[in-house]
Amino acid sequence: MIQLIDGFLSLVLLSILFSLGSGRLTVLFKVIAFQGIAVSIVPLLIGGRHVVFEDILFTLATLLIRGVVIPYSIYLAIKKAAITSKFEPIVDYHASMFAGLLFMVVAALISEKLMLPSMAGGKLLITASIALLAGGMFILMARRNAIAMVLGYIMMENGIYLVGTAFSVRARHIVEFGILLDVLAGVMIMAVILQNIKQRFNDVDTARLTTLKE
Amino acid sequence: MVEIVILIPFLAGIAAFLMPRSSGRPLLPITGAVHLALSLMVWLNRPSPRLSSYFAVTPEGLLSLIVISLLFFLISIYALGYLREGHIRDENIFTGFMLLFLSTMTMVTFSDHIMVMWIAIEATTLTSAPLIFTYRSDASLEATWKYVLVCSVGIAMALLGSVLVTIAMDIGKVDVPVSFSALALHAKSLDALWLKAGFVFILVGYGTKMGLCPMHTWLPDAHSEAPSPASALLSGVLLNCAYLAIFKTNKIMVAAGLEDFSGSILVVFGLLSIMAAATFILKQTEYKRMLAYSSVENMGIIAFGTGIGGLGVYGAILCMIHHSLIKSSLFLTSGNILLGYKTRLIEETGGLIRLMPKTFLSFFGGFAAISGFPPFGIFIGELFIILGAFKTGQYTAVGIFIFGLCVVFAGLANQVMAISFNDRGETEKLPEKADMIFPQYALLLTSVALVLYMPESLSRTISEAIAFIPGGF
Repeated sequence: MIQLIDGFLSLVLLSILFSLGSGRLTVLFKVIAFQGIAVSIVPLLIGGRHVVFEDILFTLATLLIRGVVIPYSIYLAIKKAAITSKFEPIVDYHASMFAGLLFMVVAALISEKLMLPSMAGGKLLITASIALLAGGMFILMARRNAIAMVLGYIMMENGIYLVGTAFSVRARHIVEFGILLDVLAGVMIMAVILQNIKQRFNDVDTARLTTLKE
Repeated sequence: MVEIVILIPFLAGIAAFLMPRSSGRPLLPITGAVHLALSLMVWLNRPSPRLSSYFAVTPEGLLSLIVISLLFFLISIYALGYLREGHIRDENIFTGFMLLFLSTMTMVTFSDHIMVMWIAIEATTLTSAPLIFTYRSDASLEATWKYVLVCSVGIAMALLGSVLVTIAMDIGKVDVPVSFSALALHAKSLDALWLKAGFVFILVGYGTKMGLCPMHTWLPDAHSEAPSPASALLSGVLLNCAYLAIFKTNKIMVAAGLEDFSGSILVVFGLLSIMAAATFILKQTEYKRMLAYSSVENMGIIAFGTGIGGLGVYGAILCMIHHSLIKSSLFLTSGNILLGYKTRLIEETGGLIRLMPKTFLSFFGGFAAISGFPPFGIFIGELFIILGAFKTGQYTAVGIFIFGLCVVFAGLANQVMAISFNDRGETEKLPEKADMIFPQYALLLTSVALVLYMPESLSRTISEAIAFIPGGF
């Protein structure tokens, strides 16, 4: 089972590199959808606890929201507002991928050092969550495209969810579900703002948002 | 009972969405009044919540609740006048989100489970974002975008911090509910390293929402672009909600014997915020932004006081209550100035004393109050904080603190004088409606009244809220 989890998580790691090296929104949101599905399934596979019907139901709901609804709502925003898929970065793609690799090395080192007692869920769990967090933050900072920024936020959120699952024995499903609904509502609101930005400025480049600079 | 206080504004908000355009207006004061009555009942009876694993009635929560409820009621009366004059396009959306916002803030005050607290605070961001976008201008669109993105990313840090606290529980083998009250009781057994890491992330996360420097960037934009009743709510009570979460986490830190660690970080963030606000107030050109930076300053004062410990915490709580009363009054007054002069720029206003004498009185009174003049409460709060700092021997910090307050005062005084007394050459008075003046007076008078006579139940609740400080205060 652990091999299966690690297999999943190494794909997640690869997907981070993929997202950092791409200049197309369509690629980014496919990556986000994949990561959403992966981080929803991993908790179910982590050994050491008895899987009940409720767990499966919760996993399915998470998968539906993280893997389908959230990426699809962003995709709809792109389509509806006729936003071009290509975008220009602040930090170029090669440097971004190199940064991504660095994040993974650092994440692996940190995870090695931590040696947490409840890390039975696979060697890559903490590495992948730290890399997702750092990768998401990097996209937030290194891309001016508003949609890429929202996708970076979602990636970060996926990372936090993954850290949480390693220790989620305590949190009840209803609480996790509340968190998920908040994230979902947040992304929906961001999608509405995105459409408005596009209508107003005919672009989603945040460099145009300069009225309120001091 | 507790859940009903959360549910009533929620249901009223949903109802407001469904009502045609302006017919939902009366819902604001009616819900405000019902909410205030229920909050007072909760205050007096202290019922235990039905969902006791998620919610709890705590003294610090009650203090925030009563401030929120009183402010919302007064602001809702003002909002009636503002909606009449302010030409808001989709009024039912504005009204609906105001009520949902009240509901989510109420939820924050009752949250005891760490994650439920996060859910509630993130929900306040989501319900208040549409309020900032009310005017649909380019600037308000930018402010809303910044608000949602900066706060969501910031608060995500707090979620990570909360997860780290559960790791501290795992490693310390503490098997209790993940609630602030249970963790404070078992704080000594938590793993200190992970608890510290958790605290830092939670402080950065909720500190973003509270408006602490350097995470405050969204605050001046959001506060200046929102319609004045919404700005008054954002500044008066939303910031307190984020502070409440930090306060409760700090309580765990103190119980774990880590108050030196958490205190010094809070002091640094506090001083940074005061100094940053001072710099921006000095060269400010818009009066609503000036008030927003003053909120950054006051949040800095509150964080500083909390970090100092002892008397300082008592001062911080006083500052929190009075800042809410005074700042919301000032934001409502700024709404009158905006409706009168039709501009946000300080240089285009002037002669307030002659053109809008009643507004001038509340504006100038608010300025005196927020600058820490007696007989207003901020004076006493700041005095306690300074005394607390001297008592604990933090002379350098208190030196910077006092210097910062002086600079802010100089900046504010300069701008307020310009708005009030600059000659504009016009003599015709601008219209002032009674229902758009009375709430401000009521807020300022409440602040004075609480200094002259503090009800016994209020002072007892404050003492209970800060009873965790080692050795008393």
